Amino acid sequence: MNGNERQPGGWIDRLTRIDRRIIFLGVAIAVATPVLVPMGLPVKPTRESIDFFNAIDTLQAGDVIVFSFDYGADVRAELDPMSVAIWQHCFEKDLRIVALTLYPDGVGIAEQVMGPIAEQFGKEYGVDYVFLGYNADWSGTMLRMGESFRKTYPVDQYGRSTAEIPLLDHADRFADTPLLISLASSAYAEWWVTYVGGKFGQKIVTGNTAIQAVLIYPFYQSGQVLGFLGGLKGASEYEALTGRPGAATRGMDSQSTGHVLMVLFILLGNLAYFAPRRRRGSSGTGRTA
Amino acid sequence: MKQTGPLLFGFVIGMIMFLQYFIPQPPFTVAYSLVLDWKQVVFGVSLILGVLSLLRFHGLRIRGRVSGWAYSVVAIVGFALVVGAAILQGTETGGYPWFFRTIQSPMQSTMFSLLAFFVASASYRAFRARTVHAALLLAAGVIVMLGRVPVGEFLAFSLGDQRISIPAISTWILDVPNLAAKRGILIGVGLGMTATALKILLGIERTYLGKSS
Amino acid sequence: MDTISTWIAALLTLAIFSFLYRENPIYRFAEHLLVGVSAGYYLVQYFYSAVYKKLWVPVFQEGQWALLPGGILGLLLLLRLHRRTAWLSRYAIAFYVAAWSGYLIPSILQAQVLTQMRGTVVGPYEGTGMWDYLSSWMLLAGVVSILVYFYFSQEHKGVIRGVSKIGITFLMIGFGASFGYTIMGRITLLVGRFQFLFYDWLHLGTR
Repeated sequence: MNGNERQPGGWIDRLTRIDRRIIFLGVAIAVATPVLVPMGLPVKPTRESIDFFNAIDTLQAGDVIVFSFDYGADVRAELDPMSVAIWQHCFEKDLRIVALTLYPDGVGIAEQVMGPIAEQFGKEYGVDYVFLGYNADWSGTMLRMGESFRKTYPVDQYGRSTAEIPLLDHADRFADTPLLISLASSAYAEWWVTYVGGKFGQKIVTGNTAIQAVLIYPFYQSGQVLGFLGGLKGASEYEALTGRPGAATRGMDSQSTGHVLMVLFILLGNLAYFAPRRRRGSSGTGRTA
Repeated sequence: MKQTGPLLFGFVIGMIMFLQYFIPQPPFTVAYSLVLDWKQVVFGVSLILGVLSLLRFHGLRIRGRVSGWAYSVVAIVGFALVVGAAILQGTETGGYPWFFRTIQSPMQSTMFSLLAFFVASASYRAFRARTVHAALLLAAGVIVMLGRVPVGEFLAFSLGDQRISIPAISTWILDVPNLAAKRGILIGVGLGMTATALKILLGIERTYLGKSS
Repeated sequence: MDTISTWIAALLTLAIFSFLYRENPIYRFAEHLLVGVSAGYYLVQYFYSAVYKKLWVPVFQEGQWALLPGGILGLLLLLRLHRRTAWLSRYAIAFYVAAWSGYLIPSILQAQVLTQMRGTVVGPYEGTGMWDYLSSWMLLAGVVSILVYFYFSQEHKGVIRGVSKIGITFLMIGFGASFGYTIMGRITLLVGRFQFLFYDWLHLGTR
């Protein structure tokens, strides 16, 4: 037998046939360990996060902004830290917020975010913030709000007539709000830009899941989006900029180890795939002696 | 009437919405606002229809005693409890928000977190740099993955007297080739959607109406 | 959340995770419970937003009868459930699809085509220096070559083939970036669950 031929059952073979549950265990250990034993890796804000932060930080006390919880319960890990950090920043600056959601489960999420933070900053519902709630037709909602928030939402999420809500006396359409913030797990951020930014000239910043964030770059470069946050990294950058490290900053340690493990898996998998082929190639014709 | 009527009706509505963009004056603005309000009811009802279809599916499984029908009972009972709580206690307090906080939100989050494991398995077993393009894809992916986490700041090399870090390369990849790719796709999709929307308005595209009887 | 709710949430989380070992009755129970609870939650929100907020309150409480046709169209949609009357639902479907198509055309052309084209040509990569200048030209070359690649009305040969290949290269790098970000997103979702289990359930740390 030619000594260059691969022995059956070698470690390369075992590597290619590893039970996927071993891989799952590796992922769990890599991600869970920093949750239990934090490393405290530093977070460096990027240009797009700084622009997002500045878009809010340059607003004046009393300005009314629109905040849309455009995500569901599946991606709370990515976007909840952003929501919390942004609402804290807005209330710290005494901005007033008209909140809504384009997802039905955004109602539950919004209530869990808004309530505790409003209480923390002593903000009053109806005066400092209002939750218009969920409307089934997202595109119709976006366009109708350009004419009147009250006509789009005759009652808020809690059944109170919007005609009686004092905050909406100061802001009843996009022309009255200097900024719109959309935290989106789907293409809603792009549709806010398309429908609302395009037609009404509304200034927009977006917070996106990592998968969506990579699609926002064209809108950011063209100036249609003033700044954006991408995934947990974006949330951690925002926490660093506001000086309130939280869940996102803690999570970046696990994010780091998880990414390193994924890169190792890709390299190892390709090594296990190509190594036998290279060896067959270097043995010439591969004929036995 | 069954095919032509809806197409004509759609054409009129579509043209109102199209023209309002260029003529933001009455009567277009009045009609536009009405159409937007009606649209919200229609879309909401279509979503309700979707949920009812789901219930019908599970109901049929229970009635036919299909394999695993007991799980369909679990689904229907869960549905009934949530709707019952909303009717009896309202949606602000009580069972309705509790079901969301305790059952739906944690489980929905966990269901999607399973993808982390599957993508790891796929990365190991399936992502192969078999061609130059595949190698490019994997290389870009690896650089972006390492560049977007804090540990990437410690990965750098020197080029002459300049220090080039992985995050800097990652940023360039996102700002130039990635941006070009996404923009090209965006423009292409935008033109395609425009063409499809025109075909719908003019009645050339009719598949959304279903089969004609 | 109170202790009992936290325990319920944690046990259901572990039930879903049990799928990683293999599919089992506990996982299927949890999965179907999620389906049922979600359907109930969504139905309430759909009904409240579409029927109560946009129909009942404005029409029957505020007397805005001009909004009643929306309810009629909604009813037409429900007729889809019966075979004999299903054709009437086409009016509601045509209404919705055509209305959306009508304002889609100018919006998409303005925001996703013309503004993006302008950003490619007029708005170069920010910064100073030769590298930034080269990058802006690379961006233009990338967008043009990708659009050439997507032009399928002509056979890709000769110059078109060459330019398309450049476009494919840019696309592959773009997909690689998407791949990297996708991995990032998936890992984050897992981080969130571990934070819940270790911090909120087992109290082994704080956020």
